[in-house]
Amino acid sequence: MSTQPAAHYDRVHEAWRLIMGEEFHYGFFASADTPLEVATAALTAEMLTRAGIGPGDRVLDIGCGTGRQSCDLAADSGASVLGITTSASGVAAASELARTRGVDARFEQRDGTSNGLPDASYDVVWALESSHLMRDRGGLLSESVRVLAPGGRFVLCDIVRKREIPFLEVRSRRHDFAVLRSAFGDAHMEPLASYASTLEELGMTVLDATDISEETLGTFAAWRANVARHETTLLELLDAESVADFVRATEVLEAFWNDGTLGYGILAAVKP
Amino acid sequence: MPSADQTLTVITQFLARADKGDAEVTPATGLYGDGLELDSLEAAELSAMLEDEFGTDPFSSGDELPQTVGDILAFYEVAAPA
Repeated sequence: MSTQPAAHYDRVHEAWRLIMGEEFHYGFFASADTPLEVATAALTAEMLTRAGIGPGDRVLDIGCGTGRQSCDLAADSGASVLGITTSASGVAAASELARTRGVDARFEQRDGTSNGLPDASYDVVWALESSHLMRDRGGLLSESVRVLAPGGRFVLCDIVRKREIPFLEVRSRRHDFAVLRSAFGDAHMEPLASYASTLEELGMTVLDATDISEETLGTFAAWRANVARHETTLLELLDAESVADFVRATEVLEAFWNDGTLGYGILAAVKP
Repeated sequence: MPSADQTLTVITQFLARADKGDAEVTPATGLYGDGLELDSLEAAELSAMLEDEFGTDPFSSGDELPQTVGDILAFYEVAAPA
């Protein structure tokens, strides 16, 4: 089981909560002045619309992080949710959150690329911003399809690569890429079309694959505003260099969004 | 041009920096996939280290990217004056 994502999330979890908000992911901004918490809720709503989760549905949340999403899914839709993460401390924190909230969500330490769960045992597989930290993207998708019951839905949103980046460009921009790796971990972005084609090859019917780069662009300015707002606390949680690296990383990502190198995609597919 | 030992030293230093210091390094070792599992950024970083050390590097000098440690060694052997 890969431990790199777990180590990364454990190290910066509290600081990121202050910067990224309680929902801990990008936002879907209706306008430039949309508050971050409204925008993050809107992104979750985009996923929910595509997932069509109903009462009693069995939901697998891959890369569940803090467990907040899993708990919300269980509380709001009446689903039975299993959240998986490679982080042992994430499982502990998420389990405590579910106990406190009294919702039907449980958490286990498992790798999304080799989850070990029974075939056809879930109605919805949900992957919100977790896939970019899994190098074995094919493993993630094939395992997700395997555990879906017939008629089940796979929904995913994540950072995506929007064009080929030639080696010499990677080399010339390697300091920018290194900043991203330092701030966000060992991320590997793939094109949205690559997710869709792999799912089709696995026998899924892709219902929707939408580029929402424009709607998520406001996330970076919102994160920087939170860094400024919580600077004193952040400097207690992280060293000054890490905080500066994070701000720099948001600037690098914003530039990549604007020049069409990286962006954000959302996808839904159904298992026939 | 560097000797094979000098080149291997730089590769080993890079791998240590990339937290891949336990990897076996022989001329047959692949750089990607089942070998050292370098991604594009790691390959770029190795490329830059080799150029910093030796003034040129096989990743940005040739038509094709090296696929094995041996390809890197061969690049400098070929480039060395007779």
